[in-house]
Amino acid sequence: MLEILDVCLPIASFVVYSLLTLPIFKYARKIKNANKKLLLTLVWFSIIYASAAFAVANLATKYYEQATTQPLVNVTFAENSQLIFSSTFSIDAVSIYMAVMFTIVSAIVFLYGLFHIGFSEKTSGRYYAVMLMITGCLIGTAFSGDFLTLFILWEATAAGSSFLMLYGGTKASFYATLKYLVMIVIASAFIIYGLSIIYGITGTLNFWAVKEALIALENKQILALAFIFIAAGYAIEAAIVPFHMWLPDAYTAAPASSSAFLSALVDQGSYYVLLRVLIYVLTPPKVFEWTFMLAVLSALTMVLGNLFALTERNVKRLFAYVCIADVGYNLVAITSVTPLGVMGNLYFFFIGGITTALSFMAVGILNKMGFKTLESISGIGRKMPLTSLALTLSAFSFAGVPPFAGFIAKYLVFTAAIEANMGWLAVLGVLTSVIQAAYLLRLINYMYAKEPKIEEKVKEPKKMLIPIFIFVAAIIILGIYPTIILNLIEPVIQQLPSIF
Amino acid sequence: MQNALLLTLLLPSIATPIVYFIGKRKAKAAGLLVALIAVIDIALLFTIVPSVLNSTEHQYVEAYYWIPTLGSSLTLFADGISLSLAIITLILIVAAALFSINYMQERKGLPEYYALLTLLFVGLVGVFLTSNLLLFYFCWELMLVPAYFIIGGWGYKEPYRAAFKFFIFTHAGAVFVLLGIGAIFMVTGDLNMFQAKDALMLVEPDLVKWILLSLTVGFAVKMAVVPVHMWLPDAHSEAPAPMSALLSGVIISAGAYAILRLSLGIVFPAIMGTDFGSLFLHGLAVFGVISAFFGSFIALVENDVKRIIAYSSIAHMGYVLFGLSLFPFQNAITGTVLHLVNHAVSKGLLFLSAGALMKQLEIRDIREMGGLAGQMPVTATSSATSALSIAGIPPFACFFSEFLIFIGAFEIINNDGFYLFPTALMLVATVLSLAYALRYVTHIFLGPQKIAEVKESPMAMKFSMAILTVLVVILGVWPTFFIQLITTASFV
Repeated sequence: MLEILDVCLPIASFVVYSLLTLPIFKYARKIKNANKKLLLTLVWFSIIYASAAFAVANLATKYYEQATTQPLVNVTFAENSQLIFSSTFSIDAVSIYMAVMFTIVSAIVFLYGLFHIGFSEKTSGRYYAVMLMITGCLIGTAFSGDFLTLFILWEATAAGSSFLMLYGGTKASFYATLKYLVMIVIASAFIIYGLSIIYGITGTLNFWAVKEALIALENKQILALAFIFIAAGYAIEAAIVPFHMWLPDAYTAAPASSSAFLSALVDQGSYYVLLRVLIYVLTPPKVFEWTFMLAVLSALTMVLGNLFALTERNVKRLFAYVCIADVGYNLVAITSVTPLGVMGNLYFFFIGGITTALSFMAVGILNKMGFKTLESISGIGRKMPLTSLALTLSAFSFAGVPPFAGFIAKYLVFTAAIEANMGWLAVLGVLTSVIQAAYLLRLINYMYAKEPKIEEKVKEPKKMLIPIFIFVAAIIILGIYPTIILNLIEPVIQQLPSIF
Repeated sequence: MQNALLLTLLLPSIATPIVYFIGKRKAKAAGLLVALIAVIDIALLFTIVPSVLNSTEHQYVEAYYWIPTLGSSLTLFADGISLSLAIITLILIVAAALFSINYMQERKGLPEYYALLTLLFVGLVGVFLTSNLLLFYFCWELMLVPAYFIIGGWGYKEPYRAAFKFFIFTHAGAVFVLLGIGAIFMVTGDLNMFQAKDALMLVEPDLVKWILLSLTVGFAVKMAVVPVHMWLPDAHSEAPAPMSALLSGVIISAGAYAILRLSLGIVFPAIMGTDFGSLFLHGLAVFGVISAFFGSFIALVENDVKRIIAYSSIAHMGYVLFGLSLFPFQNAITGTVLHLVNHAVSKGLLFLSAGALMKQLEIRDIREMGGLAGQMPVTATSSATSALSIAGIPPFACFFSEFLIFIGAFEIINNDGFYLFPTALMLVATVLSLAYALRYVTHIFLGPQKIAEVKESPMAMKFSMAILTVLVVILGVWPTFFIQLITTASFV
């Protein structure tokens, strides 16, 4: 039987470890011996993630023991009284899948952060603590079963992200974070307003209760208003064009490990929120027909994201625009509202996340060496073979070229669009993905075709390459044999008929 | 053998890192290893030839567990057509690998080169040997990445530019193939070619029309049919010679094979007999004629050794497309597939001998060459053999297949008067191809000697050219083996 404790354990363990990290890393900073310092941090790292993995695995096994009788498990703090305002957690196959993915990706990005950020500054301990806290909040977001819990935990994630962006301490990162915070505050205001309308109509905030009340609702005009506010709010947080302006600045100004973390986890979290709210609660056409509007937005996002990237000369910013383009591809799958689309989404969340993280990590190494623009990375392929190899493979995965995992993700997404009778969106999708191939190849051309600008030898940081190559191995293995992930998604697809 | 096809693909994929590490120690050994793997693969494929020839279905199928969620298993399949194309591909790879040993000798980064070559041939052979659409696309695009790096890394002039063009054009074509495959999966719920074929019969023709067009346009890009041929001259002429041989020999043939297997073999039956169906075939014929003339004319006026051959490839894909437009007449289809085989060998040989010229002379303008026949006898013989084969002169390979295509065309004229004019034009085009082939041979090998001291190519290069030269002659006088194999495959 799934208890409240089982659900809270993964969230709580991240929160507790986050708080414990502060004194432990403060102590680690004082150790002079570099090897000892590394050993201590690595041991602490393994303790955190081993126990978090245990907590998630425990939840997953308990859920699947029970799932045959009851796919959706609701867990609340206060059983009977005041159900409306009590935080509800509801667990189904999607939330389990997201929690597993968040934990895995977070572990590897955290490992990279340890080598990339190091202990150079007094505040570095806090940086790691925030990372862990955000992971906890994200897992909580995946588990939440009502709008209020979702709102609180998701906004906590978004607010926490600003600390990761700010860490560089540069002027650019300060302005970017400010921009992000302003956008986020506007977004949450929108969402709160939309939610209050929904609460006004239905008298509840629990997802499933809201859904049932909305199906019964006769006059849907006021619901349209609420939808516009909620959709606009979450669109800002997911950086859908035309609400994307904060993303390129923020990801470029933040340190590489933050960009990797944000793109791999927080971005995927924001897609998850969209998926949950749009498909699971506002299920079209039963509740509300929103597909066409989102289809237009996704077309805009794909086209503009890729065109901006095409004109970009700063490598890190280029990958930030790739993130925006990925938002567009994810939206294609969400708007298709088909089982295949949901499968494509969940696969894309993971693959897109690790591929962007991988490229930001590799770019982080380049940036550390002082290579920022396309011109400056000329001929880097010969100077830093491993880093450029990782970047090249991630570029091919983005472009959707087999045998890399991005191919299966794109195939699923476009097929879903065809299935949903939106052939035009699929055609637009493949055309923009050719643009994507073009600018990513230009990047590869700079790395391999041009003569190097620098004479002296460059030493690649071996430690940082470890997490990068874990992701590289993942995109190759999952490209050749995607069944590993698709088997995890399978239960989600089996539960979908109760939604549609 | 039980797992012959799986081993055929698995062997090179596993060998890729081994080739790399052996190449680090001794580059020559890596080249030999690649050739050896290809030879083993040929042997593996020959083990299934009897079962294809003698079984009632004339097919050989292996299926393994892959992605059940997407209705895909790793289905490997061979019939007469795919088997003959796969065998010829492997023969060309043997020749290209042996040729590389001397040809690439002084270049840097040879371990990477041979590893990429091994990876390339997984995709190249895989395209011919699968009946699962997803796996087909997988292999189709798998060629792209290694080909890009081989052209870019070891090519001439501005190689990455040519490679970029190659990648973007063929990738843009491939995404349309992907759309077509996605649509087939959507309407039939199946990714197995032959089951999809039956299911497509029940789908409304309007949708089938779009699937057919989307697939064919995608394949035509790889085949370099005229309006979408722009990538070919650059890629083929700037690539290193062994890669050019593979590009012109088999990669563009893969496009033709895909049109035959998927567009015509799987999707087309659903709309055969309708107005659009015959319009589609006529369209193929028209584009075939345009390609043949365009390629031949430019080959006549080009002066760059490799560009002449590259344009002649466009012309020959014109013949193939014309042959395909005669679908489903048995003679024409047999002739077309046989032409793919013969053209692959002849064009591969022509590119290798052009590479030998460029390597020994370090010039590539044919106006600066002349009278080389005495100095480079082996290169001269192989060039002349392949050029005459390309021109369609008996007793060399391409004569017989062109002859079969024309027999097919004459057969069809009785039923469909439209073909009268294109067939006449194609006959004119063969004269043009004789003209550029003779111009090529005369300018380079005959006439007064223009360059004083030229040595004949080193051993391995001579050897690989000799293999193909012999093969061109054998295919010209005794095409029976391949004809037997190809005629077992049935369409419609």
